[in-house]
Amino acid sequence: MVTEQMAERKNPSSHDPALEANLIARVLQGEKEVFYELIRAYEKSVYLTAFSVLQNSGDAEEVSQEAILKAFRHLADFRGESRFGTWLVKIALNEARMHLRKQHRHMWESMECQNQEDESDYLPEEFGDWREIPSEALERKEIRDLLSNAVAALPEIYREVIALRDIRQMSVAETAEVLGVRKQVVKTRLLRARLRLRDMVAPFTTSRGLFSRNPFRRGTNPWF
Amino acid sequence: MVLNCKDVRREISNYLDDDISPEMRAALEAHLAQCRHCTAVLDGTHNVLVLIADDRVFPLPAGFSARLHEKLRRELESV
Repeated sequence: MVTEQMAERKNPSSHDPALEANLIARVLQGEKEVFYELIRAYEKSVYLTAFSVLQNSGDAEEVSQEAILKAFRHLADFRGESRFGTWLVKIALNEARMHLRKQHRHMWESMECQNQEDESDYLPEEFGDWREIPSEALERKEIRDLLSNAVAALPEIYREVIALRDIRQMSVAETAEVLGVRKQVVKTRLLRARLRLRDMVAPFTTSRGLFSRNPFRRGTNPWF
Repeated sequence: MVLNCKDVRREISNYLDDDISPEMRAALEAHLAQCRHCTAVLDGTHNVLVLIADDRVFPLPAGFSARLHEKLRRELESV
């Protein structure tokens, strides 16, 4: 599963909530420089969330900075009803969407997304087996590019859910909260996005012999 | 409970998230044990998710933190 082990390893939202509440209180009491410490663990989540919408690193960085500044200016409005990281990433998502709206680039893609939400069951394509966990393959730029291009090729609603849930390891509940949708919607989008990613990546990995076809070992894998 | 390929594909994502009932898990694994195609879909999907979760695939731009902190520093000094 996408999962607790991985989430604990890398999910910035696994920040200790008590520590975080203390940091927030100190910032609000005037120790402004403590804000650096508060947001440090979330920099990548904020950036990747913005990038999932904007698909441009310069725009995503600009929006990330704006989102974090906005969080600082409005920190007193944070009520602790969600985790700080969730609140911050939600600001980043909204900022990115507003940025995109200003650019008028979203119009056609929004229509495409609308249609894809309505699509019937997605049928994964037939490819050969690909069972190994080839993490050492990521040393190769070719493989990293293959993966990032596959994510980039997804419609925006799928990129967002993949960025939050599968890249940054947020829970389904947190992902739903950031996106402002029900958990079931997150699960449906995840299913479609994940199968599409597999369909885009698998042909290259199998036909070009990039990875061997040894079965991966259930029981030793983070998912099982 | 007996599942066909379509049923299994609907549940693959939940299976990877360990978000299915024990009964569904048992039925799904029974199907996987005899369906090479569904097993390939599951394994490929699983591998893609492991890979994209790796920090090397989506790194922060070089200098991102330094530029952010500089912008924050200016903001903090101005309030």
